[in-house]
Amino acid sequence: MYKSQLVSILSKPSFQNCFKRGLATSHPVPTQPKLKTFKIYRWNPDTPDVKPKMQEYQIDLNKCGPMVLDAILKIKNEQDATLTFRRSCREGICGSCAMNIGGRNTLACLCKIDQDTTKETKLYPLPHMFVVRDLVPDLTHFYQQYKSIQPYLQRDSVPEDGKENLQSIEDRKKLDGLYECILCACCSTSCPSYWWNQQQYLGPAVLMQAYRWLIDSRDQASAVRKEMLQNSMSLYRCHTIMNCSRTCPKGLNPGRAIAEIKKQLAFE
Amino acid sequence: MVGLRSFQLNSAISKKTPLFLLQSKRNFIKTIPQPPGYVVGGVNDATAVPDSDKVHGSRHWTSERLVSAALIPLSAVPLVTGSSFGFVDSILSSLLILHCHIGFQSCIIDYIPLRVYGVWHHYAMYLLTFGSLVSAYGVYQIEKKEEGGVSGIVKKLAKA
Repeated sequence: MYKSQLVSILSKPSFQNCFKRGLATSHPVPTQPKLKTFKIYRWNPDTPDVKPKMQEYQIDLNKCGPMVLDAILKIKNEQDATLTFRRSCREGICGSCAMNIGGRNTLACLCKIDQDTTKETKLYPLPHMFVVRDLVPDLTHFYQQYKSIQPYLQRDSVPEDGKENLQSIEDRKKLDGLYECILCACCSTSCPSYWWNQQQYLGPAVLMQAYRWLIDSRDQASAVRKEMLQNSMSLYRCHTIMNCSRTCPKGLNPGRAIAEIKKQLAFE
Repeated sequence: MVGLRSFQLNSAISKKTPLFLLQSKRNFIKTIPQPPGYVVGGVNDATAVPDSDKVHGSRHWTSERLVSAALIPLSAVPLVTGSSFGFVDSILSSLLILHCHIGFQSCIIDYIPLRVYGVWHHYAMYLLTFGSLVSAYGVYQIEKKEEGGVSGIVKKLAKA
């Protein structure tokens, strides 16, 4: 009886399909290695008199994950343990692995490896930042700037029910496209104006957060927030070059946020 | 800590590398040295917020936009009508000078910042103001002597 049941299950088309599919997706053994060259910026603070150099590594793409982060992790694990970079979540939510890949600031974990093995891929740290080591930039000043815009809710009054600061669905929608920013600094470090004057110009990432707090219906410090931007450097060094919106690995639009701030301030 | 680190780092560089090599880019004009890593204060301090100044902030920006917007119809009028009116032409040329002045001012703030170049920033600004005044005088002379004003000259150049 069991035997007949087994035979009936095995003879079902659905089972046969499953079996076939299982066979089809099992790893085909690649015949030839697909070698891709990566050129990576190297600089070691322990030997400051040695100039920064580009070091070449070759990776077999058949034995590597699809993203650039997979490649540099593979290099670190198998070829050169001294290669230094930041990384954490490997899914584009922490912003640690921001670097310049093939001339574009992006997150290594969200950037697919160019499968064209005839071309090499170059990796640099974020442009115009002080380098701590290899692909690790010094973001201290960037974070100091973020702190200067007071990125937290400020209110004069407590909510009436004493519990929550309520917000309508429409007001909440205004924060979409702003709150998703992970402060990876890709946009700020792609901005020529930020390259020239990063000590005084706040840069797209920080200004987008300034706007995020300006339009939050629950926040009551708008006047002070606007006042902080009323000078020639903090906000008005933006010349709508729009590299920020072009490079954002999260698909956000800091350029628009800055334009909205300028609009809000226009007749003050 | 990072600020401190980069400071030590700098001193390590200067011990081994000849100073002139590091300064070769800055030889021409003496620049104001910047804090290591641009970090002022501790790593957990916020950057200083500059004093509020609406004249250099929003009002400057708004007037700049108004001038740019006004230039569009003003330069379109002589193009479309083919003739120039003395009044329109003098407004056009003076706004054009203002527009250029603001534009070059922005360039100076961007490339010769006060923070780095100190007194040279002021010299550049004086030079720009001088240039703008000279061109304003030139435009005044053109409006007075030349037939058709600035747009008359453009017309002659286009025909030549």
